[in-house]
Amino acid sequence: MNARDETTIHRWLDEAAAAMGGDARRREEALRELEATIHERLEEVALGGAADGVPPDAAVRDVLDALGDPAEVGAAFMPMPALIEARHTRPFVLHTFIVFAIHFLLVIGATMAARPFEIPPVRLLPLANPRSLAEIFTRVLETLVFDAGLVLCAYLAFRRLGLLLRSPRGALAVLPDRRRCLEGAIFLALVLVVVNFFRDTLLALYLRDGDATARVPLVGPGILDNLLLFNLWLLCAVARDVGYLWRGERRVTIGIDLFAGSLGVFCLLRMVASERLIDLGRAQEALGPSADNLAALLNAAFTVLMLLGASALAVRLVRRLFRLALLRS
Amino acid sequence: MPDSLLDKIGAELKRGLVQIAALSLLRERMYGYQLVKILSSGGLETEEGTLYPLLRRLEGQGLLVSEWDTEGARPRKYYRLTAEGSSALPRMEEAWAEISRSVTSILGRQVPALAQEGS
Repeated sequence: MNARDETTIHRWLDEAAAAMGGDARRREEALRELEATIHERLEEVALGGAADGVPPDAAVRDVLDALGDPAEVGAAFMPMPALIEARHTRPFVLHTFIVFAIHFLLVIGATMAARPFEIPPVRLLPLANPRSLAEIFTRVLETLVFDAGLVLCAYLAFRRLGLLLRSPRGALAVLPDRRRCLEGAIFLALVLVVVNFFRDTLLALYLRDGDATARVPLVGPGILDNLLLFNLWLLCAVARDVGYLWRGERRVTIGIDLFAGSLGVFCLLRMVASERLIDLGRAQEALGPSADNLAALLNAAFTVLMLLGASALAVRLVRRLFRLALLRS
Repeated sequence: MPDSLLDKIGAELKRGLVQIAALSLLRERMYGYQLVKILSSGGLETEEGTLYPLLRRLEGQGLLVSEWDTEGARPRKYYRLTAEGSSALPRMEEAWAEISRSVTSILGRQVPALAQEGS
């Protein structure tokens, strides 16, 4: 097979991949299987072709034509999951309408009471000008979009949970494979080194004063106070990966993983609670009032990052607990 | 009745049968394309786009297990029945025998009745 044939096959596979749903690992697996099938067919055609006089150039095109339209084949292999399955469309519309009705009634209530309704973590503001049609229309639209998104998230979460319960073993594997485990261990070890030895170099302001440059570290007490906990968490995670590489998936590995996950969630939430992840106190003099804005922006960005990390870890932790329960059963 | 509609009905009928046929064949370890060829030579012509998703689904249900064999000239993904699949298969075969008997019996009854109506 020449380079042009290879290109034709890869182009066909790319088109099939573009129509595939599922995660990257499954797509890659499906493509590998599809490619193997193409080569099987080609081999067969080549063997027959020698007798039938089929030119080798035409063989690739024939095989790909026989397989069909790449988009259709790709979609059949790994269908793109619809956000809302067809059988759930009616309940979805109904639930969105119910949530919207409750939501908007509360907005009307807040408008009549002329004060916001606090239902933590939600705060419903009254209409500023209830006689303005434009404001009512905008608020209806805004509420509807928000509620549809909310109900959609709930549907997706239930679907995910359903999948988890239907095929728990595959979905709850602690570590997917040795390669990813090795990558994870290296990455965590690097984070450990960077956070402990290079944090003041990487997260700092460099202020020029004539020819000299002054370095002002930005790492605040929110990070420094939790450094021990952070290190312990990362060390446990590295130990889990090393343990997995050494002995495979065992109860001890899962135990360390659970411990590391709990530590991680605890550590990140403590950092978020401290609210002073970035410290611009020392740069205040040089930057003036703009330092406050920068500090607020950086703190907000870090808080969001920590919260995302904590949520992801918490989800992993619940999965691990399922896994442990399964192993016990 | 147009041929395309007949083809569609035929494909729908076949879809359920391919599942039990594939499970039955996978008592022995086989790769996807091998299965396509055996099914086709046995009269159940099946496209890869139909068979592979089916194999994936059966694997997800725990009836099949797959593994890549990279030792040959080219890598191949082999499938075979799991213990769960092996215990489910006889029950599926029984169910199929029952359905087959019922459908044959219904068809046997309907054809003379329709013939009488026609005359």
